[in-house]
Amino acid sequence: MNMVVFVLLALLAIVGAFGVILWKNAIYSALSLVGTLLSLACIFVTLEAQFLASVQVIVYAGAIMVLFLFVIMLLNAQYPSDEVDPLEWVAPAAIAGGIVLAGAIAYTAFLFKAPKPLEEAAKALQGGTPGPVGETLFTKFLLPFEAVSLLLIVAVVGAVALVKREPEGKQVRETLEERATHTPEEVVA
Amino acid sequence: MILEILIVLLKAIGVALGLLTTFAYMTLIERRLLGRFQMRQGPNRVGPLGLAQPLADAIKSIFKEDVNITLADKFVYWIAPLIAITMSLTAFGAIPAGPAGSLFGTDPWVFNLDIGLLFVLGVTSIGVYGIFLGGWASGSKYPLLGGLRASAQVISYELGMGLSVLGLLILVGSMNLLEIVKWQETNGWLILFQCVAFMTFFVSAFAETNRSPFDLPEAEQELVAGFLTEYSSIKWALFQMAEYVAMITAAAVMSTLFFGGYKGPNLEIAGFNIGNIPFIWLYAKIGLFLFVFIWVRATLPRMRYDKLMQFGWKFLFPVALLNTLGAAAFRGYLPNGSPWILGAISLVALLLIFVITSRSTTRPAPARASAGD
Repeated sequence: MNMVVFVLLALLAIVGAFGVILWKNAIYSALSLVGTLLSLACIFVTLEAQFLASVQVIVYAGAIMVLFLFVIMLLNAQYPSDEVDPLEWVAPAAIAGGIVLAGAIAYTAFLFKAPKPLEEAAKALQGGTPGPVGETLFTKFLLPFEAVSLLLIVAVVGAVALVKREPEGKQVRETLEERATHTPEEVVA
Repeated sequence: MILEILIVLLKAIGVALGLLTTFAYMTLIERRLLGRFQMRQGPNRVGPLGLAQPLADAIKSIFKEDVNITLADKFVYWIAPLIAITMSLTAFGAIPAGPAGSLFGTDPWVFNLDIGLLFVLGVTSIGVYGIFLGGWASGSKYPLLGGLRASAQVISYELGMGLSVLGLLILVGSMNLLEIVKWQETNGWLILFQCVAFMTFFVSAFAETNRSPFDLPEAEQELVAGFLTEYSSIKWALFQMAEYVAMITAAAVMSTLFFGGYKGPNLEIAGFNIGNIPFIWLYAKIGLFLFVFIWVRATLPRMRYDKLMQFGWKFLFPVALLNTLGAAAFRGYLPNGSPWILGAISLVALLLIFVITSRSTTRPAPARASAGD
């Protein structure tokens, strides 16, 4: 029974993952990713990690993917553009990174050691309720946790710095009157 | 085992049917009440007091032409209302409607999870996909704008909503909705200790359910009918259902978290504790909140979109965060302190917020033509 459920969910997750890279329409790709994330959440539930599952749904499926779709819809970017690629080195770098990652995963698969039996692990996790998870996170894994939060702050500061406007006064901006006095030829140019 | 599954299935069907019936009559009650608020009659022609109006509406919307949209993305257009209604129906299953074993020996809830509250928040956060996929799949401008508004609005207010319950969770020490109700049974309703959190949660709930004054995704002056523009017949009705069921769920969550949930007053009548009767107390509280939803719709005009986002990020979010900090500090420094201390602080904070943000202090007095001249 457990096996059947796991195989079904795993198949769903893999089909979704293939969908992400195979669909031509970016909206469908993003929706496939949502499907993969939801199947992963269901797998977490079958592994007694309820808290992890719900956080997966709320954060990834419920917020991050909504933002992805938001950007795709807002920029109307669902189809691949045939303009010149301004960053030509990205595609080869991504391929190289993918190969390295696949190698790493294959390597760890050969190093696989059976984890603790499910009963023992479930006992330690106490049904994956928020209490034990939080306790482990804030005692044993405090340093990685804080490191990740620092990383996120760096990312946020970077994003703000990228979109920051020049301070008032230094800004060279057309006023509405200036814009209105342009001749149509100037506007076209 | 099979019997258990059957009972759960029956309860699930019961909840779904109950919610849909409530939805049907909510539309009637809402129109009648709006009529009263605006000093007119409202629909009162079909059946006595207009009671058969929902039936007539249902027949109408089922047999209406299902307009075929050429530019629509067929699959997504078709699945979007289903996502919306499925998610809003699922969320309600976690709400306990009475003490354990009070429904003819079975438990009056569909499922009882340790992460109950997170489950409700998670499922409702998936519900927004219905709205904004529907907006995108319609293949026209106004629905797309409505969908974009909905997604930005719901994500922003989800933060405020999640943060407002954190203080409460720190006090109770469990996310299980049943445990939260039991805690309130012994210590008193959480509204007494967390009134600031209730205020932020209440406002976020209006934004999350896209209700007036935050119904920007379907603002008719600007967007025709927003994400609903290209939907007709039963698909349109499904979206309406999803909105009202989400509203009922929001009312149920507010009653459960802040107003004692399914518990009524502890009164012994003929040796029988009437506070433990399942359903009626919870439903009375839900009904009260639904009335408030309608009342607010009849009272407040729609907000401007940028004001809505500003309010969510610059007001609700920090206030909810401060409330969480306050509750955490209370638990940290006064681990055995009575929650009433926190309640008093919250009340003062709430009054301060009202005074500071009141229009008379934040806006300059309107310039008057001086009478003497």
